[in-house]
Amino acid sequence: MTTYIFRRMLLMVPTLLGITLLTFLLLRISPINPALIKGAGTAEGGRAMTAEQREELIKFYDLDKPAPVAYVLWLGKVLRGNLSDSFVDNRPVAEKIGERMRLTISITGAALILSYLIAIPLGVVAAIKRGRVMDRSISFVVFLLYSIPSFTAALVLILLVAGGDYLNLLPMYGANSVDASVMGPFAWLWDRILHMILPVTCLTYASLASISRYTRVSMLEALGQDFVRTARAKGLPERVVILRHALRNALIPIITIFTLEIPVLISGAVIIESIFTLPGMGQLMFQSLDAGDYPVIMGLTLLIAIVTLVSYLLADILYAVVDPRITYE
Amino acid sequence: MNADASHSISQEGYTHRIRRHFMGDSFARNGLRVIIGLFVIAALAPFLANSHAIIRVADGRVTFPVFPSMEPIEWRFLLYVPLAGIVYFFRARFLRHLGVHLLFVLGIIAVIEISLAMTHPVNDPTNDRDRPASFKLMPLIPYSPVESTPDQFSPPTWKHPCGTDSTGRDIAARMLHGARTSLSIGFVAQSIALVVGVTLGGLAGYYRGWTDILVCRFIEIMDCFPPLLLILVAISLFASQNNMFYIMAVIGLTSWTSLARLVRGEFLRLSSQPFPQAAQALGASDFRVIVRHLLPNALGPILVSATFGVASAILIESSLSFLGFGMQAPTPSWGDILSDARRYIDFAWWLAFFPGLAILTTIMSYNFVGEGLRDAVDPRLKVK
Repeated sequence: MTTYIFRRMLLMVPTLLGITLLTFLLLRISPINPALIKGAGTAEGGRAMTAEQREELIKFYDLDKPAPVAYVLWLGKVLRGNLSDSFVDNRPVAEKIGERMRLTISITGAALILSYLIAIPLGVVAAIKRGRVMDRSISFVVFLLYSIPSFTAALVLILLVAGGDYLNLLPMYGANSVDASVMGPFAWLWDRILHMILPVTCLTYASLASISRYTRVSMLEALGQDFVRTARAKGLPERVVILRHALRNALIPIITIFTLEIPVLISGAVIIESIFTLPGMGQLMFQSLDAGDYPVIMGLTLLIAIVTLVSYLLADILYAVVDPRITYE
Repeated sequence: MNADASHSISQEGYTHRIRRHFMGDSFARNGLRVIIGLFVIAALAPFLANSHAIIRVADGRVTFPVFPSMEPIEWRFLLYVPLAGIVYFFRARFLRHLGVHLLFVLGIIAVIEISLAMTHPVNDPTNDRDRPASFKLMPLIPYSPVESTPDQFSPPTWKHPCGTDSTGRDIAARMLHGARTSLSIGFVAQSIALVVGVTLGGLAGYYRGWTDILVCRFIEIMDCFPPLLLILVAISLFASQNNMFYIMAVIGLTSWTSLARLVRGEFLRLSSQPFPQAAQALGASDFRVIVRHLLPNALGPILVSATFGVASAILIESSLSFLGFGMQAPTPSWGDILSDARRYIDFAWWLAFFPGLAILTTIMSYNFVGEGLRDAVDPRLKVK
């Protein structure tokens, strides 16, 4: 097992190099340019600067060097634990990402936990009532929800319950109210929760479909096995058979699916964050692409790639841990 | 047991069984009907919403102004009418070798789409609404999707059944023509993903060894990109081109990984079974073993995955348009109307409602078809 994990870790290195190199080259050949160069020479946004200043900046950020050389320079910095500074505000990339991460993890984490809490019971009920009205209505509803694009749902929810002409119950955008800094801790928390309700709803409903379908299939498989028949034959109540015997075994594949969703926790949701103007990771990525902020884009790419690879590995290890029949030799 | 019963069972082939299961599922059956209906509407869009009359009689001359007003891009859906006729005529033969023929027909559609996707509609200022004529038959929605009318932000009325947007364009007309954009993008993007995914996954699963390691690393690299990053960067490369083909290609070339994983797994499983080894022993070439023996056996799961893929490609396209990176004006698309909706959400509900409903219907139908196919193909989940 240890050898297996070690070999997998070694295989991550070429993948990470591949991802960062590809992103780096794509950014270089794409018309996404650092804003400080695009804005040079024009008075727009007060970014006017002289030709010398411009040259200086280009040199400072290694933009004058050929892409492969610049990539190696960037890689050298990363290996020394430095993700460079943002082009936009000259702050360290790690700091910029760090302050966004808390918000994103709290939103996506809440959505992830909520969707499992709702979807697993739905899947279990659908499996028990297989083929009946209950099963069919659950699958219809979860597919209906899955098919609503998140941005449409967000727009309709904003229109209906937040700031539109109908109900004005919840805040329309942002992570906090304007006067959040002067609030007490409990008022602040309540304010934050009110702001999170809509984004978390929009992120939750769509993932109900896949989780409840997985649970249903895996539950059906478990229910068809001999140990379930034995449990029933022993005269155990149906509730115990389902919850203690079938569900426990059915949850094994669900755990690994949960692991595979960890990357989403970090990368955030570009569209939802942009609609609700939440300063999270997805919005940071979108803004950096818009501004041509290479160091931030590269830092985000590296972070998300590492998290993705580690969670894939974790899923494979968990497989072996929960099911002793699987070994990696 | 009588001889007749066993005979009739042995007659039922794999494709027939799948078809029976699929059509027995009411969600899947109706989903397929909705998709066919959407394609018909998309094909007939120029006759349903157009500023030009279908038949116009003036000065004793009968003209059909709708035909000369059509751009090449608008013709393409009409090519499907003879195609559908051919498939229907040869349906018995078609169903017998469903796999190969389906790929063939899908290939023809993809070629038509790609060759005509390079153009986009132009704004034609003339219209037949106000031109005098002794007789004229106007389309159901007498507005073209790109023309601006003086009624801005009109809520749904008899004149504009789905309302108008900020420049007075008729939403119903944009929806009907936008159906073409969304359907073709979903279809072609997924065809591209299918070709790349099946080729790479098939090679990895068949040859194993170094090929497998390389392909797997490549899949991993593609999967590790932050969501939308690759698509947004790639689209920015072609941003000046503004045509549908690049959007299709970018979506297709970034969404093939799950198919490749699937095909690799299927090929790994199948190639260790006796039948491909028997074919090899008979002297069949690698190409023949892959295309004639392995691919048909993996076709079920591939089709299931591709159906879900079409739904997600449509969703990606509308998300891109929503973020302002998709199809640019004047090409109508559902996502484009929605991105307009975002700006005026506090009062113009119809800008969000109708395209949202259209996207929902389309994606749900594809998903039901995919789900029905999955149940029909997967023998594990059969009712005993």
